[in-house]
Amino acid sequence: MKLTRRNFIAAVVGGIAGIQATPLPWKITDDVAIWTQNWPWVPVPPTGEFTEVSSVCNLCPGGCGIAVKKVDERAVKIEGRTDYPVNPGGICPVGMGGLQLLYDESLRFTGPMKRAGLRGAGEFTEISWGEAFDILAGRISNLRKKGTPEAIAAVDGNPEGTTVSVLIKRLMKAMGSPNYVRPLSITDTYRMGNLLMQGTLAPMAYDLENSDYVLSFGCGLLEGWGAPGRVMNAWGMWHDGNPAKRKTRIVQVESRASNTASKADMWVAPKPGTDGALALGLAHVIIKSGQYDSRFVADHSSGFDDWRSLEGTNHIGFKTLVLEKYSPEQVAKITGVNPKTIVSLAKGFANAKAPVAIYGKGKDSLNGSLYEFMAVQSLNALKGSINRSGGVLLPDPIPLSNLPPLEVDAIASEGLKRPRLDQAGTMRYPFTDSLINNFTDAINRNPKSPVDTLLVFSANPFFTLPDGGGFKNALEKVPFIVSFSPYRDETANMADLILPDCTYLEKIDDIVWPTGLQYPLYGLSKPVVEPLYNTRNTGDVVIELSRAIGESVGSGFPWENFEEALQARAKGLFDAGGGLVSYDPDAPAWQRQKAGNGPKPGYKSFDEMWEGIQSGGMWYRPVSSPKSWQGLFNTPSGKFEFCSKLIAQAIEHYSNKISKKAALKNMGLAAIDDEACMAHYQAPKAGADRSVYPLLMLPYEMINLASGWIPSPPFLYKTIFENQLLKDKSFAAINPKTAAKYHLEEGELVVVKSPAGEVEVRINLFEGAMPGIVYLPLGFGHTAYDEFLKGKGVNPNNIVQAGQDPISGYPVWWNTPVKLVKV
Amino acid sequence: MDSPLLPHGVKRCSTWAFFFWTLPWVALLAWGGLSAFLCLWKGLNQTNMSNIFAFALWIVFDLAIIALGAGAFFTGFLTYVMGQKELKNIIKPAVIIGFICYSGAMAMLGIDIGQPIRGWFIFWHANIHSMLVEVSFCITCYLMVLAIEFIPIILENRKLEEIKELRIFGHNLHEIMAVFAATGTFLSFFHQGSLGGMFGVMYARPFAAREGFYIWPWTFFLFILSAIACGPCFTILCTKLTEFFTRKKLVPDSAIQLLAKISAWLLSLYVVLKIADYLGWMYGIIPRSGLTFESFFREGPYGVYLIVLEMILCGILPAIILMLPKARQNQGWLIIACLLNCTGIVLNRFLFIVVTLAIPVMPFDRFWGYLPTWQEWGIGMAVVGYGFLLFSAAYRYLPIFPQERELNPITE
Amino acid sequence: MKKGNDHGKNKYGMVIDIDKCTGCGTCMVACAAENNVSVRADQSDKERTITWMNLYKISNGKEFPHTEVSYFPRPCMHCDHHPPCVSVCVSTATKLDFNTGIVSQIYTRCIGCRYCQAACPYGARYFNWWDVFPQDKGMDRYLTPEVSPRMRGVVEKCTFCHHRRMRAKTLAYAEDRREIEEGEYVTACTEACPAQAITFGDLNNPEHEVSKLIKHPFTFRLLERIGTEPKVYYHSTRDWIRKLGDNFLPGEYTPVVNQTWAEEEWSTKPGRDEF
Repeated sequence: MKLTRRNFIAAVVGGIAGIQATPLPWKITDDVAIWTQNWPWVPVPPTGEFTEVSSVCNLCPGGCGIAVKKVDERAVKIEGRTDYPVNPGGICPVGMGGLQLLYDESLRFTGPMKRAGLRGAGEFTEISWGEAFDILAGRISNLRKKGTPEAIAAVDGNPEGTTVSVLIKRLMKAMGSPNYVRPLSITDTYRMGNLLMQGTLAPMAYDLENSDYVLSFGCGLLEGWGAPGRVMNAWGMWHDGNPAKRKTRIVQVESRASNTASKADMWVAPKPGTDGALALGLAHVIIKSGQYDSRFVADHSSGFDDWRSLEGTNHIGFKTLVLEKYSPEQVAKITGVNPKTIVSLAKGFANAKAPVAIYGKGKDSLNGSLYEFMAVQSLNALKGSINRSGGVLLPDPIPLSNLPPLEVDAIASEGLKRPRLDQAGTMRYPFTDSLINNFTDAINRNPKSPVDTLLVFSANPFFTLPDGGGFKNALEKVPFIVSFSPYRDETANMADLILPDCTYLEKIDDIVWPTGLQYPLYGLSKPVVEPLYNTRNTGDVVIELSRAIGESVGSGFPWENFEEALQARAKGLFDAGGGLVSYDPDAPAWQRQKAGNGPKPGYKSFDEMWEGIQSGGMWYRPVSSPKSWQGLFNTPSGKFEFCSKLIAQAIEHYSNKISKKAALKNMGLAAIDDEACMAHYQAPKAGADRSVYPLLMLPYEMINLASGWIPSPPFLYKTIFENQLLKDKSFAAINPKTAAKYHLEEGELVVVKSPAGEVEVRINLFEGAMPGIVYLPLGFGHTAYDEFLKGKGVNPNNIVQAGQDPISGYPVWWNTPVKLVKV
Repeated sequence: MDSPLLPHGVKRCSTWAFFFWTLPWVALLAWGGLSAFLCLWKGLNQTNMSNIFAFALWIVFDLAIIALGAGAFFTGFLTYVMGQKELKNIIKPAVIIGFICYSGAMAMLGIDIGQPIRGWFIFWHANIHSMLVEVSFCITCYLMVLAIEFIPIILENRKLEEIKELRIFGHNLHEIMAVFAATGTFLSFFHQGSLGGMFGVMYARPFAAREGFYIWPWTFFLFILSAIACGPCFTILCTKLTEFFTRKKLVPDSAIQLLAKISAWLLSLYVVLKIADYLGWMYGIIPRSGLTFESFFREGPYGVYLIVLEMILCGILPAIILMLPKARQNQGWLIIACLLNCTGIVLNRFLFIVVTLAIPVMPFDRFWGYLPTWQEWGIGMAVVGYGFLLFSAAYRYLPIFPQERELNPITE
Repeated sequence: MKKGNDHGKNKYGMVIDIDKCTGCGTCMVACAAENNVSVRADQSDKERTITWMNLYKISNGKEFPHTEVSYFPRPCMHCDHHPPCVSVCVSTATKLDFNTGIVSQIYTRCIGCRYCQAACPYGARYFNWWDVFPQDKGMDRYLTPEVSPRMRGVVEKCTFCHHRRMRAKTLAYAEDRREIEEGEYVTACTEACPAQAITFGDLNNPEHEVSKLIKHPFTFRLLERIGTEPKVYYHSTRDWIRKLGDNFLPGEYTPVVNQTWAEEEWSTKPGRDEF
């Protein structure tokens, strides 16, 4: 047959028609549908053996218990543990999203690296661990050989008292540098206040669960203060059952309608930085009405009444100070709080059976003010809420063993004699042990950086310090920076050498006494998965580094590995006796057990105990009955001191050296004599022309956004509202009245300008914002990490202009004058 | 060049002129083709649709052209079933417009769904409770009917008519057209209705929800009525547009006026019933949900002005114009009235689709706004381009206006 | 065949205590982590981001310093009566399971027409505008095999962690039990809430805590008067919060006053500023 056009077309048409009659079209239709149901690019998570590993979350000092669900070697979900005393079941959103910090490869360093590109560009080339140790140990040995070990400095973000921080401190000492600094947190304020008023070195122990009136001065109870798992569990407990019969009332003192303020039974909004004055106003009402605990005041306190010294000088006491200067009307002027509110608040506190006043500033990751703390703690003393159930407990410090004394060589002992760059512990800052803001200034002030090699551990000071970008400038001057961060954070991107740590789910590490917990707890996290990459536990790296440096530095670290060092310290826990390594949810640790009735530790030897700690992740001592008053306060007077003798001594000591006026000025004090030794209110210095910068900028923290050195898991951005972050712009919350004054509308772009810098944000009109204040969220504005975090919003720390808190020298980051300029 | 294909005894422009005329429409099609490719390849993230605006421009377009395309079934119904012989003069363009609208809508729907390849699940796993299933079944069937109705028109092409078998086939088809007209009417009745029902049954969206008769909310009937009220007007508009471009009179005024008159009555009836529906809704469903009419327009870009436009400017006004014989006999007024009528119906569909979704139901939720992306416009415009192309080609190659020769005798 | 081994029907439901809820968002993160929910670089695009459990921020609207904010955590309501989404689904991809009360979604059957999204007044349904993410960067390593990741172009929603019920039942069967106890099956959000604000259980079982809580006068549901019969309940002592749970014409809302429940007098005073 000849193929013509006609029969070709006929064949094609016929063929097509014929195929319709076969199953082929149906088969194809079905098959492509099945293909869409099994698209090869849609992941099918492999299945396997389902297991669960118990550990402890180490993302914040809260140390909540976590159970990690695994499928074969993969961790697939983090859940809260119900068999852990800190957090019976719940954890915070950051901890919940923790697996993204483990598995998001672009957030992490996959092995030791050295810088390849410009500083901050984040370009690195991978090297071996051996090479990394050679580079670093060589540099350190050189500095030591030159006799300048103090040019090595360390910024350590590990919570104080953790074994890795103890080792780092020890390494610095062994090398001969006094320049070991840490980013400040609220625990630093607690430590100092505790020392000055109570003479104790144990952390603050707020017995929240047993209290019936929690008066929180600025603690972001629901924003992540303390151990979030614990506080939020307490919150649920407080609101359990019949609301008419609720036992505990919560009052929040804060200038912004935060979650805590809104959810509390009462919200009082003083101007930022005047919390101390408000506390003293309450003290005034309580003292005036005679509702204070006269027994505690008489028996266990000093400095309440006026007194006469042995030399015959008259001194005023707390009572006189408060009655004279802090009447509700006077306090109203300072704080802007209605005098009636002050009186009713005082009544509420005074009438409660077990009230507790707690002090904080948002989360616990930024410092507070010493005098504010003292004012709040004075309230507790007035009501006798110290060493009493539901108040402030005074437990002993956690009985971890001290490491064997360190013998330093001649180079090191010379180096250690050199002054600290941050002047902490000098007469100017007598009670401060580390002042990172001064450390930054010291580098920035000198034409040549006094620091040659900077070691950064578990910290991202570039991003987290409220210093107007000071640390960033300092980093640019430091010749050699070493980061031990597992994450590609801003500070690490500036580093010349990376010795990456494992993430918290890949390593053994300890948590020492979560912030604010009322009983001692030692937590131990363990590797939930094998390290994914060529990273090493910084604890091990420090020990190895000491060996690489050799000489006396190496011999100061006799442990095989980090775990041995952990055990060496944990010996003390065994020796102290009575600690529990397992937890029964039916007997909460905060519930006061009748003497001898509580659970008994089930171990007989140290090894048994250590095994218990390793499997359960905890050692703790439940709350016991109140302690004997004998020797409870380790102050010069042996009592609770409304008027701190240590401060008096320090002022006197300094005054002997320079004039008293100069001493007070250097210490940042406006008050003199007795007032300077007691809680009092001192208006912060304006620091800028307020007619140019009429508003104040206050950074605020959110529980659903990590603002510290840990990056936020990308999941968290699901929880951020669109009036907090929209595409690449974060929002400033301001009161509609303030907005009206500057003709600003919702969503409008503005530049927030402070003397320290400027940031561009959108406006969020929020009725819960105090008029005159610009609230900027902390945690946005990363310039590092990956597309999930980078370039989203701005970091308010960059425009903070911080003054110095009197005596402590801590940055006053809540008082930045700003103005708003329309874009 | 293509003169052997042109119908006998009529004047058509040169091939080149026709070629240039098609260019803008081809360009629209190309724009749409690119958009369609992007949407199918990369997904619907190419649009500004969202979890709020699950239905958006495309669905508005679909519902609008399906309503406007109702001229096909309704004219068919009047011509073949009701025996209005006068309308034979306009039935062919009406069928072609209907075919364009329905096939365009089907194509858009194919891109609109997230899993086009599984589109046939509507039929295979049909959920008989869903109004959208009813819509899908009826539209698909009706599109087939339209295709069947279209076939004899195509077979009237000069070249095709030369083939004897086709001519006989076409003629036979023509003979039984009344059957298909009746089927089409039935199918259209139900899918126009169920398109309305789709929104009326969303009982949890007080802005759209309506009470009704048995399983059919009032929107079911109102959508049918509004479709047959505007369909003839759209047919008139298309005819007038063709007449404008060809500079010829193609349809006798009697046919146009008959359609306009029928439309006038239907539109008037619709407006009355729609007002009753609005009142019943305002005093029934809205307060029962704890809402007020004003609360729907508290914020957001969509205001109460839309309803004023829909009911007064594009409802009552065209109804009056079309009702008055003097007014509708005036070309200008007739066209204005038809335009307003069609706009009103499109606005009605827009209110039910976009405004319903923009209004939050939970008191603490926010109002939303929506602007389509160029890809969404592209798909919509492609249907316009396709319509112009197909209709132009039909006009050029098929004798779709039986009176053209009489009305425009060639004088040489 | 007899219908499974379920003796009697279950009707799972949830009570969320707004007074306990701290607005921390752990429920949202737990839900996303449990259910392999897609994460994209721009999550501020709230119209397109996927949050089966979503927090709505609410405010009493008063001026400073009387402003209060609060949150409505909103999972799928699992409407019990004629769920608006179920009847409209063209391809029978979503169903109300009469044995559990769970409104399910079959991703492989969904054609992505999104009619269900239009019909749902709670905004509880989410469309996959993009291909599933994360895929590269190693983030697929945390995906759990218990929940299948969804392909682009289909609608997904909260399932009351249905796979957890299967898990609980498997465990119970392994222990030779045919019934699961209260607390053996709870959703990921329930388990994760650090303030224990969420209670989950069987509404058909009068012994379950949820059955008791829903009788409380302070307990309410979202958009109750529309008649969807949600199985997610809320609880708050604050009137302004309860009032925001539904639409009310002026004067329609009556505060809860001195209701007796479980033989105890309940105060209605919201507490703030008053105690």
